[in-house]
Amino acid sequence: MTKQLHKVCRELLESGKVQVIIGYGQKDRGQPPHPVFITSPEEVEGLVWNDQCVANLTTYLTRKEIRALGKPAIIVKGCDARAIVVLQRESQIDRSAMVVIGMACNGVGEPRLAKCAACDAHVPAHVDITIGEAVSEPVDPERRYNDLNVFMTQSTDERMDYWQDELERCVRCYACRQVCPLCYCERCVADKNRPVRFSTAPTLKGNYAWHITRAFHLAGRCIGCDECTRACPAGINLRLLNLSVARAAENAFGYRAGLDPEAEPVIGSFSTQDKESFIK
Amino acid sequence: MSTIIGGQVLRDMVNDWIGDGKRVGGPGYVGNHLILYRWLHRSDELLLESYPRPHNSIKEFLFPSHEKLYHYKIDGQHIELSEAVLPDAQQIIFAARPCDAASLPILDHVFNWDYRDVFYNRRRSLTTVVTLACQDHDAHCFCTSVGGGPDDERGSDAMLFALGQDQYEVRCFTDKGKALFEGKLEESTRVGKVGPGPERRLDLETVREFLKTDFESPLWERQTLRCIGCGACAYNCPTCHCFDITDEKVGSAGVRMRSWDSCQMAMFTVHASGHNPRSRQPQRQRQRIYHKFEIYPSKFGEILCTGCGNCSRVCPVGLGITPVLTAIQEEQAARAGTGAAQEAGREKVDQ
Ligand code: SF4
Ligand code: SF4
Ligand code: SF4
Ligand code: SF4
Repeated sequence: MTKQLHKVCRELLESGKVQVIIGYGQKDRGQPPHPVFITSPEEVEGLVWNDQCVANLTTYLTRKEIRALGKPAIIVKGCDARAIVVLQRESQIDRSAMVVIGMACNGVGEPRLAKCAACDAHVPAHVDITIGEAVSEPVDPERRYNDLNVFMTQSTDERMDYWQDELERCVRCYACRQVCPLCYCERCVADKNRPVRFSTAPTLKGNYAWHITRAFHLAGRCIGCDECTRACPAGINLRLLNLSVARAAENAFGYRAGLDPEAEPVIGSFSTQDKESFIK
Repeated sequence: MSTIIGGQVLRDMVNDWIGDGKRVGGPGYVGNHLILYRWLHRSDELLLESYPRPHNSIKEFLFPSHEKLYHYKIDGQHIELSEAVLPDAQQIIFAARPCDAASLPILDHVFNWDYRDVFYNRRRSLTTVVTLACQDHDAHCFCTSVGGGPDDERGSDAMLFALGQDQYEVRCFTDKGKALFEGKLEESTRVGKVGPGPERRLDLETVREFLKTDFESPLWERQTLRCIGCGACAYNCPTCHCFDITDEKVGSAGVRMRSWDSCQMAMFTVHASGHNPRSRQPQRQRQRIYHKFEIYPSKFGEILCTGCGNCSRVCPVGLGITPVLTAIQEEQAARAGTGAAQEAGREKVDQ
């Protein structure tokens, strides 16, 4: 797959179809691959693809430093590709001004990431070029919510205690936000200081405000790549919050973010038939 | 001759300290995999050995992530200020790593420079640091490249050396350390050893040479473009010490707070006019390196880095200090001519 990837990328750069490849490089074999930006055909050998390519590179599509490099080709896994669908639907990118290279993927991370156990995107959708082969099979929706279901078997008090312990550790480094392809706001509500919208200090109160706000802003938009959870240095399982809002969107509106480029975003549309049962 | 102590006695001491109302901070598990320094409730939360180091630093114990500076009340034209309560509990940082302890004498400079920081200094005087010498290290550790090592004594009041079979040699360096272990130690002939520590792989002279001349080098752009501008590196770094000051007001009363901040965040340098002198991420990365290896040493005579490697350990995109310094070194080697570059290459092979 890597050979084919090199070939495709070399052609894209040589023909001038794109000016930069956003991909994975790995200078040190002992360390996981990291994002690289390849701008000349001679450098494409530096691109790698393996089952440690965990980062979701689509977060770079909206960054001004990367945009300045010119028209991109971006390497994505099936789960990552969904972010591109959302970004396009939210008018953040011009989909026709980029080449999306999808890598068939059987799972990444050591140990395998939780999301991979219930993946139905082994073959990336809505990409321009697919490299490799894999089989994507439909997954029982409940399986996607396994971790949430296990969590929800606890009592309300136990869950409250859990979040208290977890959120107390949040230091507001915003790695979760910076790594997220859909947290593209120029000025995040957490950074508003004239006036301050909610406590910017990592107090328990401020942290609750931050995480509830973050989860709601990503409701029906989070594509479940779990990058926030991977990035969090405090080991907070943000995945549980994301799963919870994703299930609300799926149950109430039959909507999953990033699957269908034509679908009306659940946050950006309404219907008189909408269920209101989740409003309590 | 040496002095030793049994692991059970140590754990009992920790429980006694906590029982006496002292605060004890040390490394322990968070969930199943992550090891962080935290305030301990019981000694069985403590995790002493068989891992390189926690993913955060001890600075939280002296310079917490958020702190009240003072309270205020506004009543028309009248403003009433009241001091925040200063910490007064004795605290013991237990089983810190040498690269954490070493950060304290480094931080002392900046917290006692143009202003004597009452909060930091108060906690510093209330704190005793018991370090555990390192047996293990990982690929991110580079203490030996910045003047430290697995038994570096800087900043420690006492140091433990694992002897195996739940026994530790104890070396007390200061009166605080001696007082802590008074009457608890046994005489012995056993002397603790440390692990070999990471290989020395950075030459700071070379790095500083580059910093003197290459503020505008394309290397910054090339090497740091992938940085996403979070605070993970700075907030888990034992030596990063920047903070932001905000008001938290409810109605007419509130508190003035300070919270950690990071030069990697875009907001860090935004002026009131909206202008941002460091508008691009590579400029912010360059700032972090300059502050640590050029500005701080010029001002205070010490590098603002202990080589703990946490910045790389926690970085979501595989950056942090070492990849950048390594790139600088490679650039310098290439400049020194092919001959010198080959020499360096040969050395690498030899090692
Ligand atoms: S969720 Fe699917 S596409 Fe994404 S990394 Fe896991 S296996 Fe690959
Ligand atoms: S990455 Fe973790 S510690 Fe940092 S702001 Fe997000 S939840 Fe908090
Ligand atoms: S800069 Fe990195 S290696 Fe140096 S002290 Fe800070 S976290 Fe540790
Ligand atoms: S170097 Fe890594 S941890 Fe530091 S700000 Fe950049 S992305 Fe975040």
